[in-house]
Amino acid sequence: MLRYFVRRMAFLVLTLLGATIVIFSMLHLAPGDPIDLIVGPNVTPEVRENIRHQYGLDRPLAVQYLSFMKSLLHGDLGNSIIQHKPVSELIAERFFVTLELSLTALFISFLISIPIGIKAALKRNTVTDYALMALSLIGISMPTFWFGLMLLYIVAFKLRFFPISGYGTWRHLFLPALTIGITDAALLARMVRSSMLEVIRQDYIRTARSKGLPERVVINRHALRNALIPIITLLGLRIGGVVGGSVVVEIVFARPGLGRLMVDSILARDYPVVQGVMVVLTTCIILGNLLADILYAVVDPRIKLK
Amino acid sequence: MKEVKGFSKVRVFGAYIMIALCVFLGILGVLFMESPLIAAEKKVIVQAMDRDPDILDAMKAAWYSDALIYLHDRLISRDYDFRYRPGLATGWDVSEDGLIWVLHLRKGVTFHDGTPFTAKDVKWTIDTIKDPKTASPYAGDLKAIDEVKIIDDHTVQMELKYPFPNLLFNLSNTASGIQKAGCYEEYGEYYGIKTVMGTGPFMFKQWVRGDRIVLVKNPDYNWGPEWMSNRGPALFDELVIRTIPEESSRIMELITGGVHVLRDVPPLQADKLKENPDINLFIDQSTRLGYLAYACDKKPFDDVLVRRAINHAVDRETIVKYIFSGYATPAYGYLPPALKDEYLEESEELGYKYDPARAKALLAEAGFPKGFETTLSAENDSTSKRLAEVLQAQLAEVGIKAKIQLYDSASYVAMLKAGQQDLFVRLYSWPNADILDWFLLSTQFPYPNHSRWCDPKTDELINSAATAPTWEIRAERYKEVQQYLIEQAVWCPIYIPDKMLAVRKEVINFKNHPWMIQYSDGIDIVTK
Repeated sequence: MLRYFVRRMAFLVLTLLGATIVIFSMLHLAPGDPIDLIVGPNVTPEVRENIRHQYGLDRPLAVQYLSFMKSLLHGDLGNSIIQHKPVSELIAERFFVTLELSLTALFISFLISIPIGIKAALKRNTVTDYALMALSLIGISMPTFWFGLMLLYIVAFKLRFFPISGYGTWRHLFLPALTIGITDAALLARMVRSSMLEVIRQDYIRTARSKGLPERVVINRHALRNALIPIITLLGLRIGGVVGGSVVVEIVFARPGLGRLMVDSILARDYPVVQGVMVVLTTCIILGNLLADILYAVVDPRIKLK
Repeated sequence: MKEVKGFSKVRVFGAYIMIALCVFLGILGVLFMESPLIAAEKKVIVQAMDRDPDILDAMKAAWYSDALIYLHDRLISRDYDFRYRPGLATGWDVSEDGLIWVLHLRKGVTFHDGTPFTAKDVKWTIDTIKDPKTASPYAGDLKAIDEVKIIDDHTVQMELKYPFPNLLFNLSNTASGIQKAGCYEEYGEYYGIKTVMGTGPFMFKQWVRGDRIVLVKNPDYNWGPEWMSNRGPALFDELVIRTIPEESSRIMELITGGVHVLRDVPPLQADKLKENPDINLFIDQSTRLGYLAYACDKKPFDDVLVRRAINHAVDRETIVKYIFSGYATPAYGYLPPALKDEYLEESEELGYKYDPARAKALLAEAGFPKGFETTLSAENDSTSKRLAEVLQAQLAEVGIKAKIQLYDSASYVAMLKAGQQDLFVRLYSWPNADILDWFLLSTQFPYPNHSRWCDPKTDELINSAATAPTWEIRAERYKEVQQYLIEQAVWCPIYIPDKMLAVRKEVINFKNHPWMIQYSDGIDIVTK
């Protein structure tokens, strides 16, 4: 077990290293200059060079990367070029706005998808099954952007049940979380259905049934537990994808989250912020996967962490 | 199978209970709805913007925020007719040669922390903007000032290197908002993020990045300029400036009352908002100008005949009608008519009308009877993209086959700086004739002089206008500049978009100002 963790942690460091190199070079290879956005063109070249120097942008790329990594090892993500603030502070301000959204969305998606998936599996090849799966197909096909705007338009704008945009209270959280939750649930319901179907055909289920266990116990204790694997996979992915999955929703609902910070910073070529967000994101993905791996073992003792 | 059914019913039932619970909570939430923004006892006006500023420091902000207008006062103000009027300076005397400006400062003015405003704050603000260490994007605007001298607590003397009448504009601009002397040392690195110190009608309360800026009224304010009907404190308590990036979300917030004031209403939404009984839509000419430009140092654009041909090939009326739903005016000159003093009235008369036959003839005369192939660059926002497509079609009519290339804004600037452009679409937004200096002086080459126009005559005309001894002479000389630019067809001016401001009717006593909303001038909000 310990060895497993050590290995995973080493893997985390290696992945981070690879990811930072890729991100760093891609960012700097893209055309555009953050200095343009902060000083405008009407300043003397000396001033520009001054600022470039101040942020260390005048050094060779490799040197910049090494110094970024050095600071990173000291837990320092550097300063934003555009926003005049330490990157760690900018990320801290926004991280929980996004985490709150992701976790609520995750909860909603489980709430919807697990009953639907089970129902569809147990009623395999009936009208109910087809209807539920058609519904889920629609859910998968809807672009988040469009679905978010539609929810906004109907529930907040026409019915006025919820505020349209902003953040702060749970009422601001509900619609954005529902948008992601439903989109995720659509996919998850199909996953639950198929893994449930696979499980109920297994010998041990037949054994359980034949030894006279009530069907509820069979499904609940024996089948569902094994069918949980895809749900755990999604859990891991969702925690990792805190940023990625919510960019569009954060823009539509004007939530000041990490995804928006990243998009704004990419457009402004605010290198330190993008690097910082990407480091956090990569770490989240790796930790999310690690969490999923551990949960696999908890749910299914046959899976061993080696 | 029966039992299976039974089980699934229990499970599904459980899920439905949960969903019902959520719905119940939702309804509960609706019943006890009390948005934190619209608390009953406090009078709050909410304005929406599409993005956050980078910093709330007038002299450093590259992404400007309206909040800066209300946090600070400026030495010179602009009234509803856009004239220059006293602000923190009650008056100014300019020497005959235009080199010495003496400004008399208002007495009894205090900063938000109670410190009296004096000449040293003016000197500090101007010196700090000019200091290269500040890296202010506006340092160039004040480069004519050689030295600011404090005569006494309420008089400053500005000594200029050359006559520069446009100092009036630069001192009235947001960047020149007077800040408290030594505020950087006093408040440290969080100045402009957690504190802002000005003398304006509103004080800084809170800035939640990406979400909102909250300003509270300055109860001591009684030094509003003479032209305001209310020179005292604002009538409402808080001004909230919210950041809502998505356009449709902003519009929905406005219609449902979550937002009261929306600047820059998109043309496609204007008709709908006009019909809305809860909303007033103010439409005015803006100080923006959209144009098609070209690299004038490259073939074939170095030939004035080709440039004129392009000007004749563009059907501005159609563009205004179909891309801007009529909420724009065709442009033939280089400045927007809203700049009353400097605008060349004869621009349309002297400019190039839509005339494809003439365009073809000019191309033939220039040696391109069959036209030529080139590229047309634009930013990838929806308006620029559509404009580029229409231009592509119109140019094709006269034989100019342009391939469209789209860029995000940072890459666009990089591309222009590198001089890779042929034809390209641009829009400027600036309420002053010095925009021509900015884009067309040879000293600005290669950027922002992206049309790559290096011409001694233009330099001479612009410099003589900029350093004219008086405002009136300056205006006359800028007209000559415009006339020459039209003759040379340096750009192909296309449209002036309307400035559209939507205000909900709960906001009362609203007067439309050509530049910024004067929130402290008697504007109030009635809560239903």
